[in-house]
Amino acid sequence: MMNLAVRNLSKSYHQHPVLNLTQASFGKHSIEGLIGPNGAGKSTLMGLLTRRIPPTEGSIIFEVEDKHHDLIPLSSHQVAQIGLVKTNQRIQGFESLTIRDSLRLACTPPTQETLKSVFSKEQLSEAVEAEIDDYLSRFTFNEPDGYARSAGEKKLLDILRCLILKPKMLLMDEPTAGLPEDVTQQVMQEITRQTKANDMRIVIVEHDLELIWSFCEYVHFLVDGEMLFEGKPEDVKANRVVAEKYLGL
Amino acid sequence: MAYLIFSITLMLVYIGLAQLLHIQFGMLGIPNFGIVGFWGLGMYSVGVLNVQWDFSFIPALILTLLLVALVANGLGRLILKLEGQAMLCATLAFSAIVALLVITEKWLTEGVVGLGTIKYPFDAGAMTEPLYFLILLLIVVGIQLFINKLHVSRLGTLIFSIRDNEELAASLGKDTVKIKLELFTLTCALMGLLGALSAPLNQFLTPNMLVPSVTFAVWIALILGGKEHSMGAVLGVFITFGLFDLLIESYLPVAPEYAVMVPNFKLFLYGAVLVAVLMYRPRGVLGHSAAGARQELP
Ligand SMILES: Nc1ncnc2c1ncn2[C@@H]1O[C@H](COP(=O)(O)OP(=O)(O)OP(=O)(O)O)[C@@H](O)[C@H]1O
Ligand SMILES: [Mg+2]
Repeated sequence: MMNLAVRNLSKSYHQHPVLNLTQASFGKHSIEGLIGPNGAGKSTLMGLLTRRIPPTEGSIIFEVEDKHHDLIPLSSHQVAQIGLVKTNQRIQGFESLTIRDSLRLACTPPTQETLKSVFSKEQLSEAVEAEIDDYLSRFTFNEPDGYARSAGEKKLLDILRCLILKPKMLLMDEPTAGLPEDVTQQVMQEITRQTKANDMRIVIVEHDLELIWSFCEYVHFLVDGEMLFEGKPEDVKANRVVAEKYLGL
Repeated sequence: MAYLIFSITLMLVYIGLAQLLHIQFGMLGIPNFGIVGFWGLGMYSVGVLNVQWDFSFIPALILTLLLVALVANGLGRLILKLEGQAMLCATLAFSAIVALLVITEKWLTEGVVGLGTIKYPFDAGAMTEPLYFLILLLIVVGIQLFINKLHVSRLGTLIFSIRDNEELAASLGKDTVKIKLELFTLTCALMGLLGALSAPLNQFLTPNMLVPSVTFAVWIALILGGKEHSMGAVLGVFITFGLFDLLIESYLPVAPEYAVMVPNFKLFLYGAVLVAVLMYRPRGVLGHSAAGARQELP
């Protein structure tokens, strides 16, 4: 059982409200979609949920494995440590780290990143290195031991970096924007596999609705910072409000 | 001879400061413009403890390390979350405050009159100065070994990731605030240690030693040598301090009638080298080689 629940969550920039949710909850289904027009507040919501953006008001509760976490007092690294992680809409990366080092960074436990550890010979475990090798053999990069150069490679690396953290719940903000079609399919298959194998939950923000309808079991529809409708894909598709406000029918 | 040993010992102090700035700015991205503040705090703290309160050198040194670490930690908590430019101003202001307090708190520091004499911690006759040089050499070599290890360690990777994109590193579960504070405290405390060790070297301390030009000299050396390269600090100080201050200013064989021109000639050459390096090697002399600086130009 997993539940990421928000109550009366709001965010304003300079008294201008961009998000105002009375209540919403994610994680009851393995893959959920979050759709809505440009500027609806989808990215803002994901930023709030991972505590990268401070909310104006409200509560965020993450229930996982019978533990009950109040996210409001936590900082973003603590949220990641309890298993709630997000991929980024805008391309982000570490320009001085190679692809492999970037993945290693994600896997390295804090005990190996202390001042004391500078003098110890401790390496990442073979299992972790093997896992990195496995990802790099299945997903093609031009130079797996070099740097991610194209926008597509950076976007893919951003997603792999999050997957290798083995999150309990992964929020994906427009993961396929900038990815070639075949890589998109590969990523979607991989996350579908992991939701089953690792009991991971996914929330996807996407404008590519075909992808939403074919992969999501449940869809949330956000407009102007408010959740106007939610339900099964076929219900959302058939909904008049969604059709008017977003599908342009 | 004595002057040569004094000069190269002082050069080691500058190398140490530049190495520590390499960790702070080159690796971690913290623009510390208050170097002279931490160094001066260390120097004056040992001076006051030693001269005014009769502490012997080693206890004074230990107390000083603690004091500078505490001050750096407090300052770090206030400023490390700020933007780069704000951090720059805050550290610069910190060093100005230290310099000002040294002038105004006469009961402690003797103000502009000056504080002295601070003796070497041991007396080995004619060998005192060479031995002291060796101690500083050991410290500088030690810092360099630490830097080399740090560059290839897991912590090093984390440090580079913080410099590149702190928010992203935090979103992967890294406690970036803690790491930055720890490293800032450690490196500033070591700057204080170098200051403490500079006290017997200078023997007599005056407030005009705490001018910002100390900070700038360290910055110029690091930028010139290559801020991201593990050896950039050492090379940079060799060029600025070693070549210009030591070799040209003190040991260039010139006829006495031209001697007056040497300082101007030195400044001219110094400026020319600086401009040339920044034009042709904007990342410093060692900026493009791959060994220490991981970054490869696209
Ligand atoms: N830092 C900020 N300062 C001011 N306004 C902001 C800021 N960030 C977002 N906004 C505004 O908040 C609103 C919601 O933005 P958000 O990025 O969450 O939309 P979105 O649903 O992700 O849109 P898209 O589909 O285009 O990615 C927009 O009107 C945007 O202009
Ligand atoms: Mg968005």
